[in-house]
Amino acid sequence: MVTICLGLEGTAHSFGAGVVSSDGKVMSNVWDMIRPQKGGIHPREAARHHSEKGPTIIRHALEEAGVTAQDIQLVAFSRGPGLGPCLRTTATMARVLALHLSVPLVGVNHCVAHIEIGCLESGFQDPVTVYVSGGNTQVIAFAGGRFRTFGETLDIAIGNMLDVFGRSAGMRFPAGPEIEREAQLGREYHALPYSVKGMDLSYSGMLTAARRLLSGGVPLPDVCFSIQETAFGMLAEIAERAIAHTKKRELLLTGGVARNSRLTEILSGVAVRHDVRFHRVSPSLAGDQGAMIAWTGILQYLAGNTVDVAESQVLPRWRTDEQEIRWRAM
Amino acid sequence: MVEYTVIAVGAESEILRTRLWSRELVVKRRPAKPYLHDKIDAYLRRYRTVRECKMLAYARGLGIPTPAVYAVDLAECSIVMDYVDGVQLKELVGHVSPEQLVRLCKRFGEMIAGLHRGDVVHGDPTTSNVLVEPSGRMWIVDFGLADVNATVEMKGVDLHLVRRALETTHWQHQEQMLKAVLDGYQSIVGDGADEITRRMEEIRQRGRYH
Ligand SMILES: Nc1ncnc2c1ncn2[C@@H]1O[C@H](COP(=O)(O)OP(=O)(O)OP(=O)(O)O)[C@@H](O)[C@H]1O
Ligand SMILES: [Mg+2]
Repeated sequence: MVTICLGLEGTAHSFGAGVVSSDGKVMSNVWDMIRPQKGGIHPREAARHHSEKGPTIIRHALEEAGVTAQDIQLVAFSRGPGLGPCLRTTATMARVLALHLSVPLVGVNHCVAHIEIGCLESGFQDPVTVYVSGGNTQVIAFAGGRFRTFGETLDIAIGNMLDVFGRSAGMRFPAGPEIEREAQLGREYHALPYSVKGMDLSYSGMLTAARRLLSGGVPLPDVCFSIQETAFGMLAEIAERAIAHTKKRELLLTGGVARNSRLTEILSGVAVRHDVRFHRVSPSLAGDQGAMIAWTGILQYLAGNTVDVAESQVLPRWRTDEQEIRWRAM
Repeated sequence: MVEYTVIAVGAESEILRTRLWSRELVVKRRPAKPYLHDKIDAYLRRYRTVRECKMLAYARGLGIPTPAVYAVDLAECSIVMDYVDGVQLKELVGHVSPEQLVRLCKRFGEMIAGLHRGDVVHGDPTTSNVLVEPSGRMWIVDFGLADVNATVEMKGVDLHLVRRALETTHWQHQEQMLKAVLDGYQSIVGDGADEITRRMEEIRQRGRYH
């Protein structure tokens, strides 16, 4: 018998609802993102966006999946990590639905969900995952019953670095796509601080230096080109270290920044060098969305890992390695 | 004709073992990475080769056991150094007694401390970069990410990296191991150690989920 799960994702600027079945079919995946006029995301504004748009998005997800609320056997929600107000709004919707439908509730770790949906799409069993987004830069692999963060940023996330630079260059949020387009026109490489520390890295020095290049008159395409080559080169290096260290045979690229073609090209080069399989998660499953929450919710539910509504408080600082992953063999 | 055996392929290098000038030697080579921008690749390979060579010698001067360097080739980005007949500390964890493990980790902490006291950070202080001879004598290798004129922040990062390596690789023993490393560290650095370990905690909080 298949189980049908509704997954709600709302850790930051996006709200998403997805319906997934336990045989691994993504039946629908609907989302909407708040685009701040200027500056970064304001947690409370984003939360308001989620509570305003949430019900409609959920309704669309059910319609697109061709199911009614009564067909839903399980509700999963993004329990953390993320922005407190956004998490709480999303959790409230999930609790109401679970109680109303009398179905179990599952609290899913956002980062774990990115990995699991990537594994579903690629068929990978046990990858080194490069997870890159506005809020996260992590190289993760499964070891000893948990997903462990082998490498991560010591300061700002790669997507955040791109967005902040983009803003100072007058680009719209999110700036990643425009930086990628500019970079394709870039010709000359200008050195930027390359900062890898062990398996971790740092982007703040690079950001400052890139802004200085721009204000010093270096053409925007060249700055964008240099940013990409440097930032992605650093990521490639820590991915490579994680592969050499864990001896895993698969490399998975996911998160919003996975949409970047140059990053994909560089990491597939890493995979060739180490003779491992490579997969870039397709754009519709790489960003923040509900299908990944629904799918991970199913895995977790089948492993007997549900949560009582009364104990389902959100976990804004939930680290990837804090959760015991009961559905994967040690 | 010189004969080589490949003894390790790291993330950025190949480690070859050879016998030359009637010595057991290691050649550490950093081959080109075609997927990186040429300029970044050329810069990193050269920079790290030079850095490693200098820092291996500099660390020795500080009394830290590192392999002696005999030659460097900047075109090939390779270094010839003494072969250390030992196993990685990483491989010993789980195979030695708890008392032994504490002793090894203390010594690891002392080596890091010796570097820090000379204002040097290692840059990649993992248990795969510590080699243990059958006699129990310990060596530290892999200085391509090392740096001089280290500040409190840089030393704090170095200790943070030790902890990161322990939590990802030796999760079953991480608490005892970290404690032993920090004990060893404290025994050499003395009162100044507090400031650095506080910074280590601070760095851990900083990067995480803002
Ligand atoms: N002088 C030496 N004598 C014996 N073994 C050595 C020596 N130098 C390195 N090795 C072995 O080779 C491994 C890799 O060397 P090293 O750490 O210098 O290379 P690397 O490519 O920088 O590694 P990483 O994968 O950490 O980037 C070491 O962990 C050690 O086991
Ligand atoms: Mg090494």
